[in-house]
Amino acid sequence: MSVSYQLIEHTADIGIRVKSLSLGGLFKKAGLAIADLSLERQKTRYPEKHKIAIRQKATNLEELFVNWINELLSVSAVESLVFENIQINQINENFVDAVVVGSDIRNYKINTEIKAATYHQLKVKKTGLIWQAEVIFDV
Amino acid sequence: MTGNIPLEKIDDYRWRIPRSYKPGMRVPGLIYADEKLLKDIYQDKALEQVANVAFLPGIVDNSLAMPDIHWGYGFPIGGVAATDIEEGGVISPGGVGFDINCGVRLLKTNLEYDDLKNKIKDLIYRLFSDVPSGVGSQGDIRVSSKEEREILLKGARWAVEKGFGTEDDLDCTEENGAMQGADPQAVSERALQRGKTQSGTLGSGNHFLEVQVIDQLYDREACDTMGLNLGQVMVAIHSGSRGLGYQICEDYSRGMVASLGKYNINVPDRQLACAPVTSNEGKAYLSAMKCAANYAWCNRQCLMHLTRQVFEKIFGSSWQKLGMFLIYDVAHNIAKIEKHKVGGKEKNLCVHRKGATRAFGPNHPVLPEKYKKIGQPVIIPGDMGRNSYLLVGTEKAMQETFGSACHGAGRLKSRTAALRSINSDILLKELESKGIIVKASGRNTLVEEAPSAYKDVNDVVDVVHNAGISKRVCRMRPLGVVKG
Repeated sequence: MSVSYQLIEHTADIGIRVKSLSLGGLFKKAGLAIADLSLERQKTRYPEKHKIAIRQKATNLEELFVNWINELLSVSAVESLVFENIQINQINENFVDAVVVGSDIRNYKINTEIKAATYHQLKVKKTGLIWQAEVIFDV
Repeated sequence: MTGNIPLEKIDDYRWRIPRSYKPGMRVPGLIYADEKLLKDIYQDKALEQVANVAFLPGIVDNSLAMPDIHWGYGFPIGGVAATDIEEGGVISPGGVGFDINCGVRLLKTNLEYDDLKNKIKDLIYRLFSDVPSGVGSQGDIRVSSKEEREILLKGARWAVEKGFGTEDDLDCTEENGAMQGADPQAVSERALQRGKTQSGTLGSGNHFLEVQVIDQLYDREACDTMGLNLGQVMVAIHSGSRGLGYQICEDYSRGMVASLGKYNINVPDRQLACAPVTSNEGKAYLSAMKCAANYAWCNRQCLMHLTRQVFEKIFGSSWQKLGMFLIYDVAHNIAKIEKHKVGGKEKNLCVHRKGATRAFGPNHPVLPEKYKKIGQPVIIPGDMGRNSYLLVGTEKAMQETFGSACHGAGRLKSRTAALRSINSDILLKELESKGIIVKASGRNTLVEEAPSAYKDVNDVVDVVHNAGISKRVCRMRPLGVVKG
């Protein structure tokens, strides 16, 4: 699992900036960044992979983005999984349909607990050909 | 940076952001700080957030900031805001935060430093192994779905009924460990799922379990009332409502964003999304928030039980004989319906404390009999290398801050900056040279929580004491720390 993102300075919490040529790519990168931010090192005791369908809707793109991240965090916590791959099947400004592939959380040493994505200073926009999102997580 | 915000000096410990700073502010901002702390406060966006909170419908008096204020999301951390329920006052999930009823409890022992100086390493390592901590940690105290719902209603009483404590513990817990009016029906199935496995777990990040020793007394009468002396060993436990609280905040934040249009509310940050306390949305959130608050009180009660068990094993005596009695337990992320005087009239207010501690003064009716004369104990943990404090609330806090004070040292450095600049091995050696044993789940957590990432709690407590909104009782220094 490798994903590129930039950290945004924030006194109490952690923010990230992700960029992609497509909206689906943006959502995928942001989703994978959650796990990357949380991990310290990997073990491989439980090789089984788990696929989960995730669907979210919202009245606008920024809300959809926050809902998407928070749904991933929530499902990850309930299922005790770390999401290693994400396939976006369908996406527009109000709807995302995806399949996420997770591995047992016990394969990881997890350090930072991300509680949720916040609306504070949230930005999801397209400039020229590039989609960019900035989000602050409560940690 | 918030260097362009005009601050009016009221006195050495009070600064005002005038309403004229931003059109839409309904009340001024009032910041408790001295010039030294103000320099740090100016370094991030916390003051802008104080101004933003002043937009909330129904807000009364001031948008308040405690001296440990720092940049949060929506509300600043260290922010207090009260809204008048009868004047359309709102409740905001962002004014409570994701970790609902994150809070701290302090218990005393009859041990002295000499009794444990040769056992401190064993004690901390045993606490680390027996008290579940870390991200997604699951507890040994397993609960069924039915029991989880009972916890949401009964709070810490559920644990006491299970034998994990005493009635006296409940007497020394804010709200006696359970807010009335909690409604499990207002909690989503997902939130229940997230909470089910995490009862009796510390969590991660800034949550901790710390063994301390009293190294300075300030108020003899209050110390005598609480049975505290120089050299006495104390234990502080800092935790919250875990995944249950995060999910409740998320569930209701989604709905509240939609409420902004419905109730024609204008706030400058969607994380301040809110609804009138009396609306269906407001009432539902409050009912769910109370469930998370009760879960957190039960959680800290269970953590205290596990801590007492570890002390019993290490010292070969019962916790009662070790004098491990609870001083008090306070919430510092919560919204409460309280009566306070506004303009000389008693009002029903919704008081948001986001990184702020209730600090009720002497003779307040909700205080336990034994604390009526001295005021409510206010527990202020510092960072893992410096001090923590016990204070009591004052009448001045009732008049000025809706009975509120600071909640900790307050972050100074971002987590990413801490990770860039601090080496974990050197940090551990530095702490060990001060006689502080630390056991953490991860090296990143350790570095993120390094003393240099925080303001000096001594400066923060000086301000609340000198401003008169709480009164110093005693100071502790850390001996050993378990970090989640």
